[in-house]
Amino acid sequence: MEEFAQMDVKARMLLHFEVEQFLYHEAQILDERRFDEWLNLLTEDIHYWMPIRRTTTLAQVDSEFTKIGAMALFDDDINFLRMRVAKMSAGNAWSEDPPSRTRHFVNNIQVVGIEGDDIQIKANIHLYRTRLESVEDSWIGRREDVLRRDGDSFKLARRYIFLEQTTILSQNLSNIF
Amino acid sequence: MSNTRPEVIARESWVDADKGTVDRRIFSDQAIYQQELKRIFARGWNFICHETQLPESGCFFLSYIGEDQVIAVRDRQGEVQVLLNSCPHRGNTVCRSDQGKTRSFFCSYHGWNFDLDGKLVAVPGYESYYREKLDKEQLGLQKANRVESYKGFVFASLDDDAPDLETYLGWVGKVGIDLIAERGDMEVIDGIQKNRIQCNWKLAVDNLYDWYHPKVSHGSAVRAGMIDEEGLRYMNQMVMLGEYGHGISGADIGEENLAQLKQVVAAGGDIQGPAQGQVWRTTDKAEEAMGPVGVRSGGHPNIFPNLWVSAAGPPQLCLRIPRGPFETELWWFTFAEKNQTVEERRAAVMVANHVFGPSGLLEQDDGENWSHSTRGSVGAVTGERPINFSMGLGQDKMTHDASGQSYIDTVVNEHAQLWLYRSWQEWMKAESWPDLVKNHSAPPTGDV
Repeated sequence: MEEFAQMDVKARMLLHFEVEQFLYHEAQILDERRFDEWLNLLTEDIHYWMPIRRTTTLAQVDSEFTKIGAMALFDDDINFLRMRVAKMSAGNAWSEDPPSRTRHFVNNIQVVGIEGDDIQIKANIHLYRTRLESVEDSWIGRREDVLRRDGDSFKLARRYIFLEQTTILSQNLSNIF
Repeated sequence: MSNTRPEVIARESWVDADKGTVDRRIFSDQAIYQQELKRIFARGWNFICHETQLPESGCFFLSYIGEDQVIAVRDRQGEVQVLLNSCPHRGNTVCRSDQGKTRSFFCSYHGWNFDLDGKLVAVPGYESYYREKLDKEQLGLQKANRVESYKGFVFASLDDDAPDLETYLGWVGKVGIDLIAERGDMEVIDGIQKNRIQCNWKLAVDNLYDWYHPKVSHGSAVRAGMIDEEGLRYMNQMVMLGEYGHGISGADIGEENLAQLKQVVAAGGDIQGPAQGQVWRTTDKAEEAMGPVGVRSGGHPNIFPNLWVSAAGPPQLCLRIPRGPFETELWWFTFAEKNQTVEERRAAVMVANHVFGPSGLLEQDDGENWSHSTRGSVGAVTGERPINFSMGLGQDKMTHDASGQSYIDTVVNEHAQLWLYRSWQEWMKAESWPDLVKNHSAPPTGDV
């Protein structure tokens, strides 16, 4: 964080702009179902993770999310993400064929830290989906990403997704957040 | 919304066990649904939680019996209580956390406070407003009088006439739980996956017996390399049917395979690959608990009404909790041995996280089918067309083992699904537990 704070305002604006453009581009290719291109945006050591959230009292709110190593809703490495994409393109993935119609909104983007080539980002996400005649899902949450410098762009090295739902009010999570 | 009368529900034609057909209206009729909540869920033994989720006094876990929300809590004596989560004063909930630890259950409406065993211990204004005219003894949280644990798996019934849990489970139900319990000292891994599917609960239940669907429903997981197509070929199937609707259907590990594995284990041989996950079956303890037939089961048990024991991969339980005729909540509990290494635990969690649950590569596609089958029960004409469970009907026979355990040795079939619906109808017709005990069918013998 300090590193980012010490940058002059123009450098910070430029970095913020680059980060935003990367995240908007990523959202666009996901909504256009260009999943093979999406895989090219990921590092080989990516961890893509969504913990389970529970309702707790305020006093016990520290335990509302499961920790890494416990059960989760997504807990994927690059190989598993490739498998997800292969499944979606298989031609018989009934949860995505006919395809979901999705729209990713990424906002409240903040650069929260820089460590070498790794830039830590927090952002809010709204993923809206409709399917078939009347299925409608809306997932809102926070993403904590790590973007790694890759030439004049970035690669996604980590994505943690913290949804606002506890019980998932959808019949599946067959899309990418 | 239809309004079926109890005498209509009691007629015999909803399930035709001779033809193998089921009337679709049982998936959409509101009155049938209301009667299920009373005659199946409130009456039966329902899985609530595992004892390791309640390690100390005051630890609680919110669960369901049908649509009745219950608090499972370890009281000051160390006993597990199952309490209705509803204040007797105005009906408000007294616990709003999914899990945690507490000293009492406090009603946020007027401040009535209940001890961990449900006893009403404090009423604001007891002297000044009630003028001591309130029977506090009678106004505790209502308890399930019947709470029992089988090897750490806690079940409750809201019907005082229910037989004891072990009688209810019978050998088939016990083998079902033993497929997890006999592996070692088991505990629940933190995190219950929960999601909602727009389907009737019974369609989610009958699917767990269905070894006909994986190649088609989960064909994309095969193409993506998640599951091995060979594993889905016409494997030897073994079906066990238990009293009150329990069943186990799926692969037979095989007598010879098990004997062979036993020899390798006895000789101290190095066991690699999937066979590692079967070593627990070779112990005398497991065979004694499960019997010579039960210990061979590689299939999917359902503890009637709605508890799937998924034991082919990492041991898991999945509850199919009703949320109205058109909605079902799936709750996945994942188990591991307490003394596992970090690496073993990590490997098991990775598999469990990737197969089932809402993002699981297999389960993603199930909800689409179940919700559309449910929807197919609604149309005035469509809903009158029965659905079909006749695969294998009249073509197989029960093998009666000398141990007293019986099973159908066959190929892919629909025997267990049909048994589920046939038993379901008997539960729905029975006026009471004594009526059900007297009039339920014993599992078939001979030709099936």
